[in-house]
Amino acid sequence: MEQEFTIDDKVYKLGIEHKDGRYHINIDSRNYIIDYTSISDNCFSLLIDNKAITVYHSEANGKKYLSIEGEQFCIQEAKTESIRAGEADSAALHEAPTICSPMPGKVVKISVKEGDEVEKGQGLVIVEAMKMENEIKSPIKGRVEKVNFKAGDLVDARQAIIEIKPETKTVAK
Amino acid sequence: MLKKILIANRGEIAVRIINACKEMSIPSVAVFSTVDRPALHVQMADEAYCIGNPPPLESYLNIDRIIQVTKESGSDAIHPGYGFLAENPVFCARCEKEGIVFIGPNSKAMKLVGDKVASRQTMTQAKIPIIPGMMSSGKEVKGFKEAAEKIGYPVMIKASAGGGGKGMRIIHSPDELDKGLEAGMREAKSAFGDESVYLERYIENPRHVEFQVLADNCGNVVHLCERECSIQRRHQKIVEETPSCALDEKLREKMGEVAKQVIKVSGYNNAGTVEFLLDQNMNFYFLEVNARLQVEHPITELVTGIDLVKQQIRIASGEKLSFTQEQIKQRGHAIECRIYAEDPENNFFPSSGKILFMKEPQGPGIRHDCGIYSGFDVSVYYDPILSKVVAWGETREDARKRMIQALSNYIILGIKTPIEFLGSIMNHPEFIAGNTQTNFIDMNMSDWKENKGEKRYIHEAIMAAGISSQNKSKSRRTTAKEDMPNPWLTVGKWSLSGS
Repeated sequence: MEQEFTIDDKVYKLGIEHKDGRYHINIDSRNYIIDYTSISDNCFSLLIDNKAITVYHSEANGKKYLSIEGEQFCIQEAKTESIRAGEADSAALHEAPTICSPMPGKVVKISVKEGDEVEKGQGLVIVEAMKMENEIKSPIKGRVEKVNFKAGDLVDARQAIIEIKPETKTVAK
Repeated sequence: MLKKILIANRGEIAVRIINACKEMSIPSVAVFSTVDRPALHVQMADEAYCIGNPPPLESYLNIDRIIQVTKESGSDAIHPGYGFLAENPVFCARCEKEGIVFIGPNSKAMKLVGDKVASRQTMTQAKIPIIPGMMSSGKEVKGFKEAAEKIGYPVMIKASAGGGGKGMRIIHSPDELDKGLEAGMREAKSAFGDESVYLERYIENPRHVEFQVLADNCGNVVHLCERECSIQRRHQKIVEETPSCALDEKLREKMGEVAKQVIKVSGYNNAGTVEFLLDQNMNFYFLEVNARLQVEHPITELVTGIDLVKQQIRIASGEKLSFTQEQIKQRGHAIECRIYAEDPENNFFPSSGKILFMKEPQGPGIRHDCGIYSGFDVSVYYDPILSKVVAWGETREDARKRMIQALSNYIILGIKTPIEFLGSIMNHPEFIAGNTQTNFIDMNMSDWKENKGEKRYIHEAIMAAGISSQNKSKSRRTTAKEDMPNPWLTVGKWSLSGS
């Protein structure tokens, strides 16, 4: 059976088979034989070619969170080709990148207004979260299309505070 | 001895203080905001009272409500922890007026050392070395330019009421000054309710060395040696250790005596910390007194064997110190790593959300002061400190190795933490060599994200994800198909024997 996973937008394919009580896995054209034992709801033990690995894991919002030997991973099961293509289409419709707070907080200051030309790396908005001020900078050079919040407003994570239109228009498909 | 103690705080420090109360058989009272109902300190205390809505001003900073609950619960003392009301002289004076024992310094001394500018004046008179800078503060941007020119760039903006790095900015040139002052004042206002800031000369690459002090109400003062807290991000400490690699016995004694003198001239009592900057030529400058129990107090406890929270409670009860300076000995080495909910790959931006799973670090010489658990929701309202890992060893190297071991078996899933980042610090050649200055992170860790490269266990992670997906779909199929008879449903009614 084939499976695909992504870590930080990088896709990894693996072939996985369960026979004689063990998993046989092929990844990046390397073969592994794995013995699996569940320890608890959040922990399993693997013997990967007899190398002992303890995996702590949990899941939320369709993502798998893993910790292996002190390294943390956030893994997403890759979607099928057709879903991916559909998403690419809808993403293309929203060509203005939106500036979001990575977490809920309070807008302290908005340093730009609609119509302003901004440079890449220019400070756009200051959000206070957990008693710290955090400046959010522009990821691109462009023009401010829309400002959706004002100083004093509370924002949620991933809510668009500012929308920016890139300087050079993206070429139509 | 005190009869019942209300802890006006939350998180790991509230848990720490409750533990000390339990050891001393003193009943403890927790307070909580509505969002903290499931918090660990509420579960651990003997009693708990809701004091308001999540924003700190409506709960943990609500003086009237906290005083009211103290009386209602029959508590005779308040331990303020660190942060929130810990260094608020108005709160401290209010406790004195209401006849409640404040476990900390008296309000007059707190007011003096809390006003950074006033304490600079007092220390100058007492001939204690301070960093050159302004001897008064201001609330408006104008007027600072001349002062900055006089001091000479780079200068440091500091909040007059400040601490914990809030409001602090380094300014390298005149054109950065106004924007820096604006932000510094705003941050100071929001954190302390007072926007006053002042300027000091910025000392390049110093070490941050502080002395723990205990002073009883009878005039006895001892110091419990130093802590080096040079490793900081956003001017906030993340790694602390004791002893400091920079101090020899002679310098330790000299700084310790100055620290005790600072406490005496301020009329300070209970536990306090005297902070110094140590420059590259081993000159030291008085920075400030932290009029509270410090986040990093456990490392001192591990090397001196003295429980600082219990000492605070004893001193507040009116007891004399039971040991002298000569009896205090440092034994071994201790390191603390602070675990914040933050993303070291994204400028240490705070991270909030549900902790899906947590496994506590353990091992010989490991202490874990913790305010969280699996399933706990990290709120956006408060300082994002989650826990502290502290390692003790006979030598610095032993402590360092134990810390690495503890960090690598400390699991927190669901939110971002700096556990991996702290592990990299512990393994860094400059840390191993003891070359820890306050610019350590900028100098050695700024390219951490790029340099750490591909993770070592990426194949293992993908395989684990694959196996867990397979198991999940398999268990879904079996639970749907086989509705096994449950033995507990077939045993019939339970009856108690004898009935």
